[in-house]
Amino acid sequence: MHTLIERINKKQIIIYIILAFCFFISLVFVYHNESFYKNPIAEVVKTKLVDSSEMVDTNENKDHLYTQEIEAEIKNGDEKGKLIHLTNEYTKSGAYDQGYHVGNELFVYIDKATDNGEYVGTIKDLKRDQYLSIIGWAFIFILLIVGKKQGLFSIISLAVNAIILSYALDIYLNFAGSSLLVICSVSVILFTVISLLLVNGFNEKTYAAIIATLLGTFVSLLIAYLVMWVTKEQGLRYEEIQFITRPYKMVFMAGLFIGSLGAVMDVAITLSSSIFGLYEKDNDISIQVLKKSGLEIGKDIMGTMTNILFFVYISGTIPMLILYLKNASSLGFTLNMNLSLELARALAGGIGIVITIPIALYTTIFFVKRKKARL
Amino acid sequence: MNVLVLFGAILFILMTIIGGKKGARSFIALFFNFGVLIFILFFMTNPDFNPIIITVIACALISCINLFFINDINSKTKTAFLSTIITTVVLLLMIVMVTDKAMIQGFGEEEIEELGVFSLFIGVDFVKIAASVIIVSTIGAIADAAMAISSPMQEMYTHHPSISRKDLFAFGISIGKDILGTSTNTLFFAFFGSYLALLIWFKDLSYSLGEIINSKIFSSEMITIFFAGIGVTMVIPITAWISAYFFVKSRDKAIKG
Repeated sequence: MHTLIERINKKQIIIYIILAFCFFISLVFVYHNESFYKNPIAEVVKTKLVDSSEMVDTNENKDHLYTQEIEAEIKNGDEKGKLIHLTNEYTKSGAYDQGYHVGNELFVYIDKATDNGEYVGTIKDLKRDQYLSIIGWAFIFILLIVGKKQGLFSIISLAVNAIILSYALDIYLNFAGSSLLVICSVSVILFTVISLLLVNGFNEKTYAAIIATLLGTFVSLLIAYLVMWVTKEQGLRYEEIQFITRPYKMVFMAGLFIGSLGAVMDVAITLSSSIFGLYEKDNDISIQVLKKSGLEIGKDIMGTMTNILFFVYISGTIPMLILYLKNASSLGFTLNMNLSLELARALAGGIGIVITIPIALYTTIFFVKRKKARL
Repeated sequence: MNVLVLFGAILFILMTIIGGKKGARSFIALFFNFGVLIFILFFMTNPDFNPIIITVIACALISCINLFFINDINSKTKTAFLSTIITTVVLLLMIVMVTDKAMIQGFGEEEIEELGVFSLFIGVDFVKIAASVIIVSTIGAIADAAMAISSPMQEMYTHHPSISRKDLFAFGISIGKDILGTSTNTLFFAFFGSYLALLIWFKDLSYSLGEIINSKIFSSEMITIFFAGIGVTMVIPITAWISAYFFVKSRDKAIKG
């Protein structure tokens, strides 16, 4: 017993040492990777506020406008080590601009050289990869410290699913005529099988949850299609969908499909593990009792699950809603323009969650019955 | 008929058939939550209010709706409520630091073209609003996880009233680990679904990896995903500790009294 604990600890210590090592290497890398970028990068060494003025726009909104002159050192390319002079105009609100501080690294365009061997340029954007990797590592460490093995599986599941998604999109974009819906259906099956196996391992609970998830997702997709067909998509503001380079309806439906998948999986696995749990505790438990407890659990989770989706979808629109409202748009117009797609997604996802409750219930009971029959 | 009305009607019917009274309450809760969103908008458009404080108030309202209205006011939901608020505040402090440094507020260059007709000089603090967006996107999941942990801990405590605080805490952590995988999955896929158009956009316009990672839009969405994961993870030890503390404290009081 004693040696077993020691061995586990040793293994853990080794894992943590490897992680800490990766952490430091990657931090050193993101802070010194300028030479890997083709675009010139400059680090701010001096800033000077040269102008500050108050301004009022046509809707009576007050804001402050600042101009700063920046001296920065070029970190890569042929001009490495040289100084570059930049001018930055920014507002206090910072909707599309920001003030820079000493130490910030910026992507710049080098416009021309001055007489004393320095340069003048314009700012393109901030270099953000170092912040991204710090948060990424914070995420990994917190998940590992709290969740241990389950935390590790969550990280693996995120990474694997992201790779599958990226790969699926590559297939969609590179083969003309391929249907996004078919590709998404295949990906959904992969997502479900991999995620649920990672979360719950190879056992009957997982198999029941996989079947319930797939049935639930496809039934809710069917409902969504029927609704869109019956209503002729009235009230959906596709023109407000952002970043669109492809047929928008397909992209919207595929997003809806994938977006609710995690919640549907959650419902399916919660029901199947608790019903199996009850059965394993008491093999003589009647099917009627199992159904009743399963339904109780379903009632408990349906509200919170629909709310999770609601907030994930809605919150991203807040900056846009504020921008509309501050530009003298009425509340009704603002909500109608910006929220129709998000609300449709949240409601359709909710339908998926609720419809999965009976599906998961009966699928699991089918598996329990089969197990009972074998005894 | 309007798509949203029909979707809403179907959801309402399904929720009441399957969930009965509680299902109907869950549906009404969606409307209340929508009301909180309007509340957020109303105060955030006024530059005199600090968006961070509005966010904390909004989170408290949302937790009240999701915990006290859908369920009941009892020791489970009270500890879940307290845990949600503490997690939110801790997370908010981390997020504010990051949104300020990484400058992911407002709109990216990909969005700015279509916003040409709008005045961007509107005087509100977009950095704080960006922090608020991240918290609001995760609040549903944090409240859900808090409830999912405090509820079985209460059960455990009722069945084994003599359990020590340390054991009760350990039980809470083990429940938390079980739900960790599914709650992070729920969030990941919800975010994947809403970022799908953006991913296709990046691939179609053949952005280089460096451009994608450093762009405001992508990094803000990745940071949102990471913080969502951190949020639902952090709530586990916080809820386990608070529930263990209060459940055992109420017992000690009962013994002394």
